[in-house]
Amino acid sequence: MSIATSLGSDNIIRMSVLQGEAKASSDPKVEFGTVLGSCVATCLYDPVARIGGMNHFLLAEPPESLSRSAFDGSYGLFLMEKLINEMLKLGAVKHRLKGRLYGGSNINRDLGEIGTRNAAFAREFLRGEGIEKAFEDLEGEHARRIHFRPASGLVKCRSVADISAPKDKPLVRPKSALGTVELF
Amino acid sequence: MSDVNSIPPQSLETTQSSVRVLTVDDSASMRALLRSALTSRGFAVEQAEDGQEALEWLASNEVDVIITDINMPRLDGFGLIEKLRGSALHADRPILVLTTESSNEKKQRAREAGATGWIVKPFDAEKLTTALRRVAH
Repeated sequence: MSIATSLGSDNIIRMSVLQGEAKASSDPKVEFGTVLGSCVATCLYDPVARIGGMNHFLLAEPPESLSRSAFDGSYGLFLMEKLINEMLKLGAVKHRLKGRLYGGSNINRDLGEIGTRNAAFAREFLRGEGIEKAFEDLEGEHARRIHFRPASGLVKCRSVADISAPKDKPLVRPKSALGTVELF
Repeated sequence: MSDVNSIPPQSLETTQSSVRVLTVDDSASMRALLRSALTSRGFAVEQAEDGQEALEWLASNEVDVIITDINMPRLDGFGLIEKLRGSALHADRPILVLTTESSNEKKQRAREAGATGWIVKPFDAEKLTTALRRVAH
């Protein structure tokens, strides 16, 4: 069992979903959890297959010389697609998915309105993909702790002290995600 | 002078805009991102939502390079490549796979089906356009 997973006395398997990750499950004993500042977590749920998944992302800030369109949308889309693919592998069906969005606070003034821009990206993704947005708790200036039971779709979200939130930094793509090109 | 720096910008644009690309992806967001990245770099972009729609479009249209996702409804990327390689019109058409899949097994399957290259999402726009220019005939 990894450091990001723990088995509680209530037999619930708690799994952290960290920035840059996407996880899915149909196990009623699993609970995904995360703490959000400027980051956004997308919780998707297929109510028929009873499969849920969650990701956690922060888009990269564009260099000051470029406009907002220079945001690294490809990385955000990758984490959305990864989340959906993980769910489809378990048997979820895309057109049945419902989405809940959390986070996107403008908690770190050094990062400007990055929370708002992350929130806008997530809303636009659901709209563009035709995924119904069942609920959102986005923006503001407070940190949030999220617990998501993927097999039931139940989400609990509460405000927490800012000090609990990870010190979000604009995402630099991990080395494993550099868009490697291989010509045969 | 004949080095590339002496070519007026207009000529470079004209050269690039002659490359026609068909992108095949079931994600509307990914299609929008690809269209934006490629048109802003001078490519002419056509789009299909899955392998079946791509096949139907390619039956009566010409394109220089195809970029396809793997996981799609109706006809997936592997099926699309196999069908195109079996057709007289597209047997030699460059086909780049653009996917979140990272397994060597899937990459090998794409190679055996006749793919020209394998690009892992999230894509880097500069690397993608360099690959497109290299494989475009």
